[in-house]
Amino acid sequence: MDQDSVTYDSLEVRPLPKWLTDQRDGLNTIQPVKMEMKEDRSLSVSFVLTGAIILVAVTILTVYLLRKKKKNQ
Amino acid sequence: MKIILLSAILSLACTTKVSEWVLVNAPAGRYTLIYFYKDQINETDRNRNSSVSREINHANIDFRSVEKKDIVQPYYALYYGNRLFARYDDSKNLTGLTVSPLRQKIASEIMAGKLCVLIYLTTGNKEKDDKGMQTIRNTLNDSPFKNIIIVSELSRNSADESHFVSLLLNVEDDLKTISEPMLFGVFGRFRALEPLLGKGITEENIKLMIDFFTADCSCVIKDDLPGMDILFTDNWDNPSTAMVNRILDENPDLLHH
Repeated sequence: MDQDSVTYDSLEVRPLPKWLTDQRDGLNTIQPVKMEMKEDRSLSVSFVLTGAIILVAVTILTVYLLRKKKKNQ
Repeated sequence: MKIILLSAILSLACTTKVSEWVLVNAPAGRYTLIYFYKDQINETDRNRNSSVSREINHANIDFRSVEKKDIVQPYYALYYGNRLFARYDDSKNLTGLTVSPLRQKIASEIMAGKLCVLIYLTTGNKEKDDKGMQTIRNTLNDSPFKNIIIVSELSRNSADESHFVSLLLNVEDDLKTISEPMLFGVFGRFRALEPLLGKGITEENIKLMIDFFTADCSCVIKDDLPGMDILFTDNWDNPSTAMVNRILDENPDLLHH
C-alpha cells in the first residue's frame, strides 16, 4: 500500500514493487547482530605467566643462595 | 554465563520465515462497508442491512450506516483505510463480497501449510496470458519449493469471482487501467503482494518473490509489511505447520535472509 503508484506514461517507466527491489537489494535482511563466541585463551596465558614467574623466582633465589654460599666459604 | 548470554542474544534473531510469521502473527487489515442514507432508514432497508451485516459478520470488515444530506438515493461504499474501493447502489451487488469459491480454496491451501498461492490474473489476450503462464511454470519446475506453491489462474472477467478480482485490482491504485497479466503472491491471512505484471513476470522476479516468502522474517518486514489484505473470513486459528520448514531443514543450503 505504501508503494501505491500513480499513473505512469507507460509500463516501461512504472517502478517495480518495493518489496521486490528490497528483496533484490538485500534491504529486507536487517537482523539483530549475532554475537559469536571467540576463542578464550586467558587460562593458558595465566598458566604460562604463572610458570614464568615461578621459574624466574626460583632462578633468582638459586643464584642468590649459591652466591651467598660461595661468599661464606 | 557466556553461553546463557549468547543464547539470549541469538533468541532475538527471528528465524521464522516470512510466510509463517505473517500467518501466525499479523492480523488482517479491516475494511469498512458504509451504508450512506438520507434523512432516515426505512424498515425495509433496516432489515436488508441487518441481513448484510449477518452475511459479512465473520470477515475482516466493519459495517455501519452514515447519514449524508447531499445524496439522491442511498448506497453502499467499501473502504480500505481511507481509500474508496467500490460503490454499490443495490444490496444485491454485495452478494459474495466476503467469500467466493476461489478465496475459500486459497485460504485452505495456506492453512494447510503451503508457502503461498500465486494468483495469475489473466487478461483474455491468449498470447500474453500464455507467455506469462509459461514463465511461471518454468520457474516453479526448477524451484525446490514447487510442491508447496499453488498457482491459481483467474480471469479478470470471472463472474463468480468479480469481487475478488476487484479487490486484487485495488492492491495498487493504477492496476485497473493496466490490461496486462498480473501475478499476485498471496500469503499470511490473505495478504496480496503488489503484483508482477506484463514483462515484469520473469523467472528472476518470481524467484525473488519466492525468496521473499522463504526468508527469515526481519524487523523491516514486520514493521512495514508490503501488500494489502484481501476481504475474507476472519478465522485463521490453528494453521498446519509450515511445510517450508521441513524443506529448509533437509536442505540447509537453501537457507537465506
